[in-house]
Amino acid sequence: MIFDEPNFLPGGDRYITVEFGNEMNLELNFMAQGLAEALEKSSIQGLVETAPCFATLLVHYEPREISFGDMVKEIKHLMASLGSSEEIEMASRLFTFETLYLDPWTKECIDDYREKLNPDKEYDPDFVARLNGLEDRHQLVRVHSGTEYWVASLGFWPGLPFLQPLDPRAMITCPKYNPPRTWTPQGTVGMGGSASAIYPVATPGGYQLFGRTPVPIWDTEKRFEVFQGDIVLFQPGDRIKFQPVSREAYDEAERRIKDGSYIYNIIEYQKFSVRNYKEWIAKLDHSERF
Amino acid sequence: MLEIVKPGLETSIQDFPGRIGYWNQGFPPSGPMDSWSFRLANILVSNEIGAPGLEAQFMGPTIKFQKDGVIAVTGANMGPKLDGEEIPMWQSVAVTANQTLVMGPALFGARGYLAIAGGIDAPKWLGSASTFHKASVGGLDGNALKAGQVLPVGDGHGHAGRRVKENCRPAFASDKKWQIEAVAGPNDDWIDTDGHKQFLATDWKLEARSDRTGYRLEGPDWTFTQKATDKPPENGEFPSNIIDHGYPMGGINLCGQKPIILVNDGPSMGGFIVPYTVPSAAFWKLGQIKPNEFLCFKRVNVEEAQTLRVALDDRCTESSIET
Repeated sequence: MIFDEPNFLPGGDRYITVEFGNEMNLELNFMAQGLAEALEKSSIQGLVETAPCFATLLVHYEPREISFGDMVKEIKHLMASLGSSEEIEMASRLFTFETLYLDPWTKECIDDYREKLNPDKEYDPDFVARLNGLEDRHQLVRVHSGTEYWVASLGFWPGLPFLQPLDPRAMITCPKYNPPRTWTPQGTVGMGGSASAIYPVATPGGYQLFGRTPVPIWDTEKRFEVFQGDIVLFQPGDRIKFQPVSREAYDEAERRIKDGSYIYNIIEYQKFSVRNYKEWIAKLDHSERF
Repeated sequence: MLEIVKPGLETSIQDFPGRIGYWNQGFPPSGPMDSWSFRLANILVSNEIGAPGLEAQFMGPTIKFQKDGVIAVTGANMGPKLDGEEIPMWQSVAVTANQTLVMGPALFGARGYLAIAGGIDAPKWLGSASTFHKASVGGLDGNALKAGQVLPVGDGHGHAGRRVKENCRPAFASDKKWQIEAVAGPNDDWIDTDGHKQFLATDWKLEARSDRTGYRLEGPDWTFTQKATDKPPENGEFPSNIIDHGYPMGGINLCGQKPIILVNDGPSMGGFIVPYTVPSAAFWKLGQIKPNEFLCFKRVNVEEAQTLRVALDDRCTESSIET
């Protein structure tokens, strides 16, 4: 549910969790990100930083400058001035990533997992397609690539985006691996629960895997202009589109990344309006599948 | 310049308060685990309290000085010796070019700190020199120190013979039992009355599989309220599962039944509840606990935790120094 009034939960001497609800619902993340942006623009003394997640906003404050009670008051005051979540309008960049779905590298990773940890593990794309009533792995690719994704939050690893599909016709769900994998290739695209993710580097993981992008989303060497100010690509509130490509196009992108001539496909002029978004999804037949 | 002869066990460059402001991109603050000892070391050598210095864990490094300078060793007692002669801890000491400092195994406490006048001149990554080994970020090259590396040092104006007053130094537990403050929340209402009583009554053993990302505690199983069992399915199947949320640093994260304290290099978010949070003023103790020692938790409220924080900051000032 979405709570009538959010909960303000203390985290030690310097954090407050603002909890907007207890379900997976994009609306809750919009509220968290809308408040995060308003806080950043505010001049509240003692605010250090914020971190939105699916249904909550974590607020980090400096207790030497503001008490817990006063910070809660300030946040409530700010929220009262914001109006409803429909009023939220945020700058939102759109990233497009060449993605090779049903690629050989995640297949190899799944095969390795089957050999070492769980011989009964079904091939992830077939498993996810079956669970969601899709025809086959190829429809999974159509459905998964048929929507823009919303960067709801970043974590687990620096720069790892937790993505929610903006088009309800692309909503799919699946459980995570049990036990988790010991490795996952860099650039893997996968999902768990209703969230998709891109693995910034090779790490252990638990998501179902079905594609890979060659485009770095994390670069400590700052080889590309987009990493000059930061070493990770995304901020909460960005959007991502996975563009299915052939093996040839994947290899070409990879080659250009290696020689430094790759151009990141980023659109920066758009704003995300919660009202426009809601009006759009109200017009859709949510039972449709691509 | 400092030449690393032997690196010790994951000795790393850290600064205080670390990499702040990137939690929403998944970056932990890193920084010294025992920032009390760390800050005092910097004050002793007349640096800014947050200047980059070294944190050694369990086994200290061997370091050769390439220039004259002033150093201070604080934190865990690693029996520091300069050219074979013991040197006092909690005191600034003059060193000359070609002298060698040996820090050995930690006798009391777990983490030792070395500050040098001028500070380590390490590059800043997202505003901080702190090393975050897990992601190869910070420090000289993103990693713990290696033998043969030479660390540049900034210009300093240290003086030998400055001491931290006895009563201004952290007191390490001598009976392997550490009392750690904990504030209830953010998810304390997921634990039932018996669960809370048990948490506060238990001596939790620190597992060996603990590091700068998390402190795993061994103890009894937890018991839950209805909130943990009667919830929308997207919260996950275990009682301690919750829709992924941002973690406060110091959060006692209940991973299944396993409590893990999220410390300086910990994750920014995840899908487990945090029934208690260790406040910032108790972090220095976490930094000095060794595996197989015990933590017993003392419940404090937010205001008490903030008062402790202010008191600790006040000790990390020139007023703690005598000459």
